[in-house]
Amino acid sequence: MTTADPRELGLPEDAMRRLAEMRPGQATSLFTSDLSVNEFLLVREAGFRPLGLVLGSSIYHVGFQMGRWNKNQELTTLTQAMYHARELAMTRMEAEADVLGADGVVGVRLDIEFKEFGNDLAEFVAVGTAVAADAPPPTGSGWRNNTGKPFTSDLSGQDFWTLVQAGYAPLGMVMGSCVYHIAHQRFWQAMGNIGQNTEIPQFTEALYDARELAMSRMQAEAEQLQAEGIVGVQLLSLPHKWGGHTTEFFAIGTAVRALRDDHVIDRPQLVLPLTDR
Amino acid sequence: MSQWDARGLPPAAQARVERAQHGGVRTSLLSASAAAAIAELGLEPVGEVMGCVVEHIGWGGMGCGMYGAWGGVQYGYAQTQTSGGGGGYGGYAPYVNALYYGYEHALHRLLLETQALGGDGALGIGWTQQRLDEAGNREFVAIGTAVRARSTARPAHLFATDLDGPDVAKLLHGGWVPAGLVIGISVGVRHDDYYTRMQARPWSNTNTEVSGYTELVTHTRADAREQFAARAARIGGDAAIVSNMTLHISEVEPSDGHRDHVATSTVTGTSVARFHRDAAAPTDTLTVMPLRTLSSRSLPSRSRP
Repeated sequence: MTTADPRELGLPEDAMRRLAEMRPGQATSLFTSDLSVNEFLLVREAGFRPLGLVLGSSIYHVGFQMGRWNKNQELTTLTQAMYHARELAMTRMEAEADVLGADGVVGVRLDIEFKEFGNDLAEFVAVGTAVAADAPPPTGSGWRNNTGKPFTSDLSGQDFWTLVQAGYAPLGMVMGSCVYHIAHQRFWQAMGNIGQNTEIPQFTEALYDARELAMSRMQAEAEQLQAEGIVGVQLLSLPHKWGGHTTEFFAIGTAVRALRDDHVIDRPQLVLPLTDR
Repeated sequence: MSQWDARGLPPAAQARVERAQHGGVRTSLLSASAAAAIAELGLEPVGEVMGCVVEHIGWGGMGCGMYGAWGGVQYGYAQTQTSGGGGGYGGYAPYVNALYYGYEHALHRLLLETQALGGDGALGIGWTQQRLDEAGNREFVAIGTAVRARSTARPAHLFATDLDGPDVAKLLHGGWVPAGLVIGISVGVRHDDYYTRMQARPWSNTNTEVSGYTELVTHTRADAREQFAARAARIGGDAAIVSNMTLHISEVEPSDGHRDHVATSTVTGTSVARFHRDAAAPTDTLTVMPLRTLSSRSLPSRSRP
């Protein structure tokens, strides 16, 4: 019964029978998960069992720092705050996963929300689903990474499934942050540009510098995990609430290692979806 | 017009159900693809169903439990009081119980309609609440589509889920059946003690975690998650899929110079039961490449916790 009509399999019959057997209040070993249905089904198919939802949070007072009006510079106090607070949230989430005996955490989201109350208060939240593998990996000592912590991944269920199918294992989420103040132009400089279409080399250079700092920091984290590469990288410019000239450049991705030598997946079939999305 | 006694279905809903039983037209809130997906798996829509409760919530809670002769603990450590914590002088347990009553009663009325239409459960349920006025009246609404399974067995209790047609179809195909819609709610309150005020003081150039607020949100979320898991387990499922997690934190000033912070956390999701007998779920995922342009990176859309 490989491609049988689901109606012949009696799916609704089996499903309804299960619901008929159900007795409210009976003891079950229930787990919760924050995954979407796609992720829930695909993570299981990739050989992982969800153990439960894990979460870490930190409400952080981000120190006050002003950039010099006409200087391109990194605002190190703010960069450190973004690093430290994310680290606190991630570590707490990993600790919850560790208590559950997890091999990894999938579908991780890392969010920042500046609060309406107080000044410079932000909540950093990391949330994901802890999973345990059905079998040890074909190579290496286990699924956990070289720091002995459960692996973390912010890939979607589809991406995670494809990654494992292709013979890669996630090691951990890696990130690089840089809060940068871009100089304002001097008065005569700005006057000189009026009515002209011209590049402002000063601004271009600042954006290059800031992105480079964020990306190289992310790369350094991946090297520490002895990763082969980083997948699913997002490079974000987050203005937060520091005004137009101060921006956080944030690079985040999932560091991976190879599980085997060949990385071939089934040749995809082309499909024409009947839906818009 | 006679007064309805708030038992069973309101007269208008009763009349609508009776009309549906006599007429041949079936209504549903399903999209075309959702309807096709569930029909393929053997579920037929039998009608659009709704449940609604308007509740007066007159008492909002007590505060942080730090009043009286102590003068509100100016220099000690405050503690978070959660509504599920039980005991304590403060706490918002009665308020949270009122919210539970609203949500669950709206769902109950939706399922009464489902039962009257001959359905086995309802899917795609939107579960909302809103304030009607400033006097403490709130409306809780559950609205969804009742479905009937092509099956000889009937469930012991009607199932309910906020997952839509395609998701339910995927779950059934993978050997899971939705069992019930669950919400976990918690309200926590914590007094702003000396340490909290120092850590959160404005214009300071030090980076520091505000441990009091962190404790407040961590305990409140943990309580909501526990309540959610306990309620999902009570239905008898094997897993619970969280679809939405919210947290709202605000400042209250019950008396002069006495400031508290109140956090409200809700966790909503579906309890699901496994019905495949093998150790592994029956799956046959194919590697496919959809022929369409992707507007952005295809990340699942989920809400912020």
